Formats: sequence, C-alpha cells, structure tokens
Amino acid sequence: MVRIKHRYLLINILYPDPKSTSGRPATKPGDEVPYTVQFRRPSPDRMDGGVLTRLIRDGVAELFGDYGSGKVAGSLQVKYFSQATSTAIVRVSRDHYRLVWAALTFATRLPNPVGQPCVIQVVRVSGTIRKSEEEAIRRARLSIRQAEAAAKSSNAATAGLAAATPQLLSTEDDDVDMINGIEDPDDPRDIEEDLDDEG
Amino acid sequence: MPFYDLNVPWSTPNSELPRTLSFLAESYLIEPNADADVCAVGYNVVALNFTITGKLPTNFACAIPDPLPFVVPSKLTVLRRLTLVLTTPVNNAALTQLASSYDILAVRPVDEKSLLLAATSLDSDIVSLDLTQRLPYFFRFKTLAEAVKRGVRFEVCYAQGVGGDAVSRRNLIGNVQGLIRASRKRGLIVSSGAASAGACRGPWDVINLASIWGLGQERGYEALSEEARKVAVTARLRRTSYRSVVNVVYGGEQAAKSDKKAEIREKGIQDVQEKRKVHVLDDTSPAESEKPVSKREQKRRRKAELEKHAETKGSVVTPDHTKM
Repeated sequence: MVRIKHRYLLINILYPDPKSTSGRPATKPGDEVPYTVQFRRPSPDRMDGGVLTRLIRDGVAELFGDYGSGKVAGSLQVKYFSQATSTAIVRVSRDHYRLVWAALTFATRLPNPVGQPCVIQVVRVSGTIRKSEEEAIRRARLSIRQAEAAAKSSNAATAGLAAATPQLLSTEDDDVDMINGIEDPDDPRDIEEDLDDEG
Repeated sequence: MPFYDLNVPWSTPNSELPRTLSFLAESYLIEPNADADVCAVGYNVVALNFTITGKLPTNFACAIPDPLPFVVPSKLTVLRRLTLVLTTPVNNAALTQLASSYDILAVRPVDEKSLLLAATSLDSDIVSLDLTQRLPYFFRFKTLAEAVKRGVRFEVCYAQGVGGDAVSRRNLIGNVQGLIRASRKRGLIVSSGAASAGACRGPWDVINLASIWGLGQERGYEALSEEARKVAVTARLRRTSYRSVVNVVYGGEQAAKSDKKAEIREKGIQDVQEKRKVHVLDDTSPAESEKPVSKREQKRRRKAELEKHAETKGSVVTPDHTKM
C-alpha cells in the first residue's frame, strides 16, 4: 500500500516592524517593550489558517509556477495556527517540502485582508505532527520565560537573555546538527525509494 | 556551529540598525552550558558593512565608530567590514592601508575585467558581486578557483532577491546558479545584505534556499558557518601576522595566541591547535609540557590571557598555519 509521506513544518511568523497602532500589552508607561517580545507579537485579528494557506499557494505559484503549484497543491494544508503565538504547523508532502519552505522564505507580507509586513521562519521540520506539536509547546514555554526575564531586567533594548532562564529539556535535545539541521531525521521505516531528490 | 552574517549595511543615519541587529541575533533556544553554541535560530557573528564607491578616501580611519553608538544584543559579535566598489582601478598598497582599520575587506567588481583583477591580484577577503543585475559575462572555473586558492571567498547576498522584486529575484537565482556551477560549490559564503529587519531570514531558511538553488544542504550549511568563519579568521591573520605565515606569540607561561580583537574568540581554535602541534615538535618553548596541551587548558589559558590584555611580544616565534 502506498502511503503518502508528509513533512510538517513548524513556522514562526515574526513581525520586524515597529507596531504603528496602539493597543500594546499593558506595560508601565515609559517602559519599552523589549525586542524579543516585539518581534513575536500576536498576529492581527484577521489572520488565520486560511490566509496562511493562501499566502503559501500564491507564493508557490509565483516562484515555481504552475509546475510547483501542481506538485504541492494536493497535500498542502495548514494543520494548526495560533494567533496568540503567531505559530503554525503546515503539512506538505515529503518530496516537495523545500518548495513550500522557499515560498515561505520569500514571503514579505501577509496578504490583503491583513497586509502587514512579516518574516516567516521555519523552525522545525518533522515527519510526524506530534513532534512538531511538542516543539511548538516547548518554544511557547521558553518564550514566556524569556519574556519574563526580559521584562525583569531593566535593559529593554537587549533581549535580556539572562542565565536565569531555566531549561526544560536537557542538552540531549539538540535539534541542530550539521547534516539535518532543524529537520528531524527520517523514521527508518520511511527511508525507501526517494523519487526525486532536491537536496 | 556559529552562524555568520557578514553583510549588514552600515549607513550614517542608522535608525534601523539596532532593530536589525536584534532581529538577526534572535536566539530562542539557550543551551545551559556556556561552551555550546547559543543560537539555534539566530546569527552569532555579524559584520557591519560600509561601502565606498569610486575614489578612495584620503582618511583611512574606520567609518564605523568603536564602540557602536547603540546597544548591541549581548550574544552578538560585531565585526567591521569595508566594501570597495571597483569603478576605478586600485592597487594593493592602498587596499592594505585601508583594510587595516577594518576587520574584513571586500571588493565589488563591476565588470569582467575588475572581476579578474579582484580574483587574481587584489588583496581582499571577499569578492562580492551585485547578483541582482544581469551579468553580461559567464563565470569561469579558472578565475574562481584561483581566487579560492588564494583565500578569497565569493559572496552571495540574498536580501535584494527576497525583497519582492521579480526581476532581481530572477537575476539572483540565475547568477547564483552560474556561480555555484563555476565554483564547483566551493568557496562561497552567503550573507544577507539586509538594510532592515524585514529583509533578514533565519539561517536555516537561507540554507534551504541555497540548497534549492543547487548548493546542497551540507555545502549551504558550510557556506553560512564554516566558510564565513574562514573568511573572518583569514582576514585577521592577514592583518595581525607577517604575510599570514609567521606570527609572534606571547610566550612564557601563556601559550595562547594573543588576540588583539577580543571579539573573535573561538575562531582561531584550529589555528591554535595546529600551532600547538608544531610547538611540540619544535621544542622551543620552555612552558610546554611533554604532552600537548588539552583543549580545555588552551581555552582556560586563552581566557586568562585575554583578561590580562597581553600585548607585548614574547620570545617565541611559531610558524602560523598558512592561509587557505
């Protein structure tokens, strides 16, 4: 039986520009929001999974044309989107995930109902959605602690990466190694015929 | 495994720059032990790039002030780089003089002749081309290979291509492919050239782009970390040692190499180790024990020595490992 293999990309949507409108989180007056928190602010209200899907499809169409669209369309789906953390999990077929990854990299602003400039960063690539979820949870926890640490330290400009930030996972979790980078290695059962190799 | 971004443009009204630097340094996962690499998701070393077009200025001081006029993210190391656009012919003497006040020197050729000049005779660390223009010439393997042998690396800037303009994107992809083919995937570095935070991309995203364009995941990773590290180290060797071959090391009980620039800490590890080995063979230093010094000891010594700000030259001359 031929099983379609997928890749789940965990992405962060970062907002590099300063917030033009008011509606800041409640802070003391005269207290500048540190950069870490600013970059990872919640998405605008109109943003949701559908907008993201549209962004990706348009991006792939623009970069890779009809050929790319056709390859990717069947399996592309936004599995999870969180407005509060500006995180999403996107499913793509295993053979073409780099196309979608490139389309995300080339995205400069969110499409029209939202229209904000953004930077999309892929943080994890894994073969199962479970691993992506776990990674998302871990990052959310870390970011809360980092934001707390940054708020505590009076220096608002730097991200306040104090050593006080406790680690939830030990060092055996290193998702960065030279060969795979942020991609999870393939399940040994999954390594079969690799039909087209883009790497 | 640090990531380098060797092209962050510097201009005098630099209101965007603190934000851009913070964005690049965004480190999300912090490993508990200090030795391991900090940023899983950001850059560790950044070079501020000041561009000069046309005639060389008479004043050879560094245009980028030291210390920087704004707050720099704590984990980020900042280098200073100069890019010279080769519209007029320059000679090596002027280049070396200009380069001595910066950490890295780059040249930007404008046509095939200046490319040949830059690759074969000019004494720069990086050759950076504007890849968003249609280039009327092809890249030749001989030129590029000769340059790489001399230690010059070719730079690809991704910011203009990512910016959204279709024409520059197409040109960038086409030129990068030509560059990759002609250089046989060696001797390339990738940097951002991002004028604002919105043009920056995470290192793994950049590596993915490079792999789509034909470089491959491994080589792409090298381009962003190893090759860029080599550029920074070679540049420093060119400036602080005699013809990049011989360097006088502070002798005595501190066997570590004296660093003028305290920022470039870990980069000389290989060099230092190599020197260590030759040291043992030469048997000139009284301080060396019978067995070669362990890495931990080297690191400790280097740290101690940095804190003492060792300046004077010692009595021991050790051969440097040759530039690549």
